[in-house]
Amino acid sequence: MEMRMGLSVHIIRRLLLVVPMLIGVTLLTFTVSRVVPADPLAVIVSEKAMDHPDIVAAAVRKWGLDKPLPQQYLYYLWNLAHGDLGVSFKTKRPVAQDLAQYLPATVELAVASLLFAMAIGLPLGILAAVRSGSWIDHLARLISLLGASMPPFWSGLMALFLFYFKLQLLPGPGRIDSRAVAPHTITGLYLLDTFLLGDMNAFADALHHLILPSVILGWFTLALVCRITRSSLLEVLRMDYIRTARAKGLHERVVLLRHALRNAFIPTLTTLGLAFAGLMTGAIMTETIFAWPGIGRYAVEAAVNLDYPAVLGTTLLIAVIYIFVNLVVDILYGVIDPRIREA
Amino acid sequence: MKPVRWILVLIIVAMLILHLAACAPKATPTPVPLPTLVMVMNMDDVVTLDPHHAYETTNLMIHNSTYDTLVEFRADDLTKVAPRLADRWEVSADGLTYTFYLHPGVKFTSGNPVTAEDVRFSWMRLKNIKDNPAFYADIVADVQVVNDTTVKVTLTEPSPAFLAICAAPAMSIVDSKVVKEHGGTDAPDADQTDKAKDWLDQNSAGSGPFILTKWTPKAEIILEANPNYWRGKPKLGKVIIKHVADPTTALQMLQRGDADLLDSLDVDLVEQAKADPNLQVVIGQTLNQNYLAMTSNPELSKPLSDKRVRQAIALSVDYEGLIQALLRGYGSRAPSIIPLGILGVDPAMTQGRDLEKAKALLKEAGYEKGFEVDLSYGSNPVRETIAAKLKSDLAEVGITVNLKPMEQSVYLSEMRAQRLAFCFGGWTPDYLDPTMWTDYFSYHDRGIAKRMWYNNPEAERLAKIIGTEFDLAKREQAIKDLQKVLMDDMPFTMLYQTQQIVVMNKAVKGFAYHPVHFVSFFDLSK
Repeated sequence: MEMRMGLSVHIIRRLLLVVPMLIGVTLLTFTVSRVVPADPLAVIVSEKAMDHPDIVAAAVRKWGLDKPLPQQYLYYLWNLAHGDLGVSFKTKRPVAQDLAQYLPATVELAVASLLFAMAIGLPLGILAAVRSGSWIDHLARLISLLGASMPPFWSGLMALFLFYFKLQLLPGPGRIDSRAVAPHTITGLYLLDTFLLGDMNAFADALHHLILPSVILGWFTLALVCRITRSSLLEVLRMDYIRTARAKGLHERVVLLRHALRNAFIPTLTTLGLAFAGLMTGAIMTETIFAWPGIGRYAVEAAVNLDYPAVLGTTLLIAVIYIFVNLVVDILYGVIDPRIREA
Repeated sequence: MKPVRWILVLIIVAMLILHLAACAPKATPTPVPLPTLVMVMNMDDVVTLDPHHAYETTNLMIHNSTYDTLVEFRADDLTKVAPRLADRWEVSADGLTYTFYLHPGVKFTSGNPVTAEDVRFSWMRLKNIKDNPAFYADIVADVQVVNDTTVKVTLTEPSPAFLAICAAPAMSIVDSKVVKEHGGTDAPDADQTDKAKDWLDQNSAGSGPFILTKWTPKAEIILEANPNYWRGKPKLGKVIIKHVADPTTALQMLQRGDADLLDSLDVDLVEQAKADPNLQVVIGQTLNQNYLAMTSNPELSKPLSDKRVRQAIALSVDYEGLIQALLRGYGSRAPSIIPLGILGVDPAMTQGRDLEKAKALLKEAGYEKGFEVDLSYGSNPVRETIAAKLKSDLAEVGITVNLKPMEQSVYLSEMRAQRLAFCFGGWTPDYLDPTMWTDYFSYHDRGIAKRMWYNNPEAERLAKIIGTEFDLAKREQAIKDLQKVLMDDMPFTMLYQTQQIVVMNKAVKGFAYHPVHFVSFFDLSK
């Protein structure tokens, strides 16, 4: 009971810290984005409309560009406190609506990539540690090396060429078949939506389309997971308590699964947490090549177009994701290792 | 132990799902009576599909197929205005009043009749929303409903360009009843009170051959045929436009039969497309010009403010080499600001490279030993290679060019602030009238001329004639004269006019390239 209390106090404390952190993030992003020597009107108003005072005045009024910067910032914070992220200069839609539009595709891809990285990376890392120096260790090293060194824009194009174009084993870009229409939006996660709608053909199609991009995006994470699992497991296997366990005559499988893995898993968990947040935000190349309408491309376009409301909105979202993932990882530490929870 | 076991179970489940997925049957599309056309393109530019808010490129194609305009330019003759919703029209002797007679009995897809009131509402909404395309309606002073099928438009000044403006997709006629039902208004404060944009982003309220049924940003646009279209039933049942940014992948989709039409292919991939027996390649002549602009302001660059130096620079560029080597021949060149295909262009006026003459001009201006200048441009891969070529071309006459690539948005704001001396940019027309070029490259207080501090009363006098003269021969002469003035002052030298490489399945019939809205889906069959 006491331990549980400790955990919830810990979570509450962490959650309270989120507010000042987010304010800091907005202030930093706001300041940095306004330092750029460019006029947001260049994005909002077209070249030909620029000579028309009515159009320019309407734009200035709509986005409050005539107000001094500190006032613009306070106005932004005030709106933010009311759940309003502002209106994008570029898309001219509420930023919250844009983010809600692009986030599900990113979540679906990031989760699939993470599952792929774990499904292959963990067993491979464990086998590489247990059979250290064997062919499987070398194979694991090769797979990791490829994952870490191949940029997704190249591996993605190659994968499409081979598996889609030449071998015709897997579907092309996009989240569904090019002749099919996207499922009715419930959550925006196509797998979940098609499942809930009971359209199993569309479900299979969406799953099919997820394979290549998630493998390409997840490969780097796989490499990380594999190498870290291997090295931390190797370290743990050299420890005294493992020797003791073996000396007790325990079966090697028990030694490995019950005694060694639990401790070896902590560094891997840290990596997975960071990697997941990275997958959520760093998939720009994969999104471009696989025509995946996710948050990464939205963020990049916002940045190059000086779309401050969208830049602030995506930065906030990314900060929230990092904070949330770190919190989950912290809680999981406690689950794996009770000493952390007590501390 | 438990979490480890739980994770292992998760891994096994994930592997099973992936395995099952690989074996799963491919989803079959729902059958439709008329063929579906799948088009792949980069539609990153689409931000809205409300015709009175949209001011990008892809939306022109969508609006041309979902709405009707009063008149249009058909792909086979870009110099002639053809009737569309309006059967005929009259222009008053003073050029200030246009009377349009609408085709009787036309209905919107909602079933409401198309009336003169819809024309009035549409144009006033466009004007009062005050978003980017509002400038199309600038010249409209008043729209009067004479009767259900007759509408009288009064202009702020006589304009021979008005019919061309009426053909622009922004001037589309919307169903006023439906738009009002969804919060739309044409009131003077429409920029703050109109609420129909969200609805019009997902639906069309027009009388066009197709109906917009869905738009998922950066993913897809779905159009369904309007079986009651007044000019005949479309030959396609559905058009699915998919966003695919990578050209290699887009071509692979056509080669595999997953897509039927691709709007613009990279020059590097043309041979691959031509080699495929199932595909056809069509080269479209765009009206997009790329130019070098040189300031007339001595404070920004003393050498460039001397017209002899500007002439020398124009004579130093190896235009032919640029088009052949960098664009692989998929480009052409007009003599001055007016692109090939538009009234008043005389290709014989085109001036090429002449290094001796350029050197002589530089010597005369006192820059025999050359000078240094920064070339600014919005960076993209094509522009980078061309800028490098320009640098080496100008080095041959002793001019040292420092390349200053910028993000497009930074470039635009710097240029608009009139701070740049030497620019490499592009110009795309919104409607097919010569004023689209002559207004923006001649008046000292407008467009590119303003940004480059260009000010010549003679150029403005000619631009004024072009903007107000109804006599075609006199207008054409003024366009020719203006180009001569501009080629003498040389504030701009046109580098190349791009060509668009269109690829489609051989089964697709009826394609005619249009430089404004790309294609009319109504013409296509499969």
